Amino acid sequence: MSRYSREFTVAAALALLLAALAIFAPHFFALQPLLSRLTAQTPALVAAIGMTLVIISRQIDISIGAQFGLCSVVAGLLAAAQFPLAVAIAGSVAAGAAMGALNGAFVAGLGLPSIVVTLATMVTWNEALRLWQQGRLLNLPPGTQWFGLSQSTGQLVLITFAVALLASAAWAMRNLAAGRRVYAVGSDAEAARLAGLNPRATTFGVFVLMGALVGVAAVLNVVQSPQVQPTSGDGLELKVIAAAVVGGVAVSGGRGSLWGVFPGLLLLANVNPALTHFHVEAYWEKAIQGFVILLAVMADGLRTRRT
Amino acid sequence: MSPESSSPVRRRFRLGPELVLLAVIVLEVLYFQSAGRNFGTAANVANILRQSAEIGLLAVVLTPVILTGGIDLSVGSLLGLCAVTFGMLWQDAALPPWLAALAAISVGALGGGLNATLITRLGLPPLIVTLGTFSLFRGLAEALTAGTRAFTGFPASYLTLGNGFWLGVPVQAWIFAAVTLGVWLLVHRTTFGRSFRAIGFAPEGARYAGLPVARHVSLAYILAGAVAGLAAVIFVSRVTEARANAGTGYELAAITAVVLGGTSIFGGRGSVHGTLLGVAAIAILGNGLSRIVSITAYSRELSGILTGALLLLALAAGAGMKAWAERRARKPTS
Repeated sequence: MSRYSREFTVAAALALLLAALAIFAPHFFALQPLLSRLTAQTPALVAAIGMTLVIISRQIDISIGAQFGLCSVVAGLLAAAQFPLAVAIAGSVAAGAAMGALNGAFVAGLGLPSIVVTLATMVTWNEALRLWQQGRLLNLPPGTQWFGLSQSTGQLVLITFAVALLASAAWAMRNLAAGRRVYAVGSDAEAARLAGLNPRATTFGVFVLMGALVGVAAVLNVVQSPQVQPTSGDGLELKVIAAAVVGGVAVSGGRGSLWGVFPGLLLLANVNPALTHFHVEAYWEKAIQGFVILLAVMADGLRTRRT
Repeated sequence: MSPESSSPVRRRFRLGPELVLLAVIVLEVLYFQSAGRNFGTAANVANILRQSAEIGLLAVVLTPVILTGGIDLSVGSLLGLCAVTFGMLWQDAALPPWLAALAAISVGALGGGLNATLITRLGLPPLIVTLGTFSLFRGLAEALTAGTRAFTGFPASYLTLGNGFWLGVPVQAWIFAAVTLGVWLLVHRTTFGRSFRAIGFAPEGARYAGLPVARHVSLAYILAGAVAGLAAVIFVSRVTEARANAGTGYELAAITAVVLGGTSIFGGRGSVHGTLLGVAAIAILGNGLSRIVSITAYSRELSGILTGALLLLALAAGAGMKAWAERRARKPTS
């Protein structure tokens, strides 16, 4: 079985869906709506990079939706206070990294299971955000949207940035020592420790990186509209975990690559537009997403059983 | 987890988390009694019982699941699916409420059975399986109701389940008490229930000892699903309508209560009475904060933040205690 067979399977499924759309709903491929739909996925794509690393290191982070909301509000408040955009971006990334560091401290430092730790931080950040913003929309100063560029240029910038980030992260995971460490710790932390690596430091670093990437993702979302919506991160964690799992990242850690995450995310993201184009009611989206997640883990389970 | 945490050490700490939690509850009651308005009245106590019955039910049946080293994130979504099933069967199929309730509980058991099959037969990780069904069950509930449909106008006889009294105590509190007693007896007084902890402590060891691990773990998930259905029936009666979003976030509250109650998230250690105390601590906190006039408007958010912080604290304390106990147990031999 070739190394990237799983990635090819997902890509083939996506190609099949797109081909069906091309035949039955060609207006799906009109350039501007296509560009907009792709841009709308850039925040999730950037967050999915972090989540893939987290899952490869055999952890999980369900607090990223809450982190995303808080980072968006931090970026929005800084921008609204007339700070330059660079400061707003730095603020968002720093806030995300700090929240990631807290998760990492509990998981790596105390050896607690990440699912419960991030469950607790998710509840805490979500309620803190609600207390802080009371669901208010935050108006952004002109010149923030699309970084002050025209809409189509801004969209191209976001898409190029996100894809370039994904490609360089995928390259780094394959070729840099830091990337290999994540795989080593994820497939067997004790063996990694005996081989002279520091699994705790790696795990901590992965959570900090996850938070920082959520900060970046929040910026990518904030610049797409004239307002900041504090609830914009709701459900992001599920969407991103699903994209990683569908893209072939094994939840048992140590296996998978970032290349599968891109088609995985697009496949899930296109379920809803495809449903409307095929005149199926959109209410089925969540059920189908859940079904796709179960299908992906079942495929993985059967495959590991065979080998 | 490791053989070093031998039984004498563990026995010495057995009442640890429960005692701490009891102290927290006493402090909460004393504080809210003085700072809150109408906190200690009979009406408010009935209120607390009403508000905590559904999450309490979920927490109590999640205890065996977590004792086996598993987790079930789907119970809140399953509650929503069962609520919608109940509403539909009553309104569209014109079933009497008790029959619709039985059907809802069966749907819950089926949902739990799906989790159990994927986890025990295919050997998939419970976390991801129940994350998938978390999305699937809620999605089915939304699809069945087209996202917006709500079922209302239930008969008064059914609504007493969630809003009436029996012998001066809210009706659902009796059900909650009965289920809790049943699960307590199962976990703490039967050999079957003891196997939950054995499996969580060392799944392979339990299998070699001849325990039917897959069957016992399956039962824990099916029980959790069935009781999620029961909680749905109570929930719908209390709020007098059935919607797809019923029970959103309940899985988190329930897991929080279980972990707060001293059950180890790694499995193998914990108790149903601990969970009961965890439920009480969270319910009293939430209700008490809403009774303090100056912060009533923010009480929901505040109690959420405090619950999250409390959970982190309990986890950190548990990890610290485990490390300490292991170090102490290891000392004489090494």
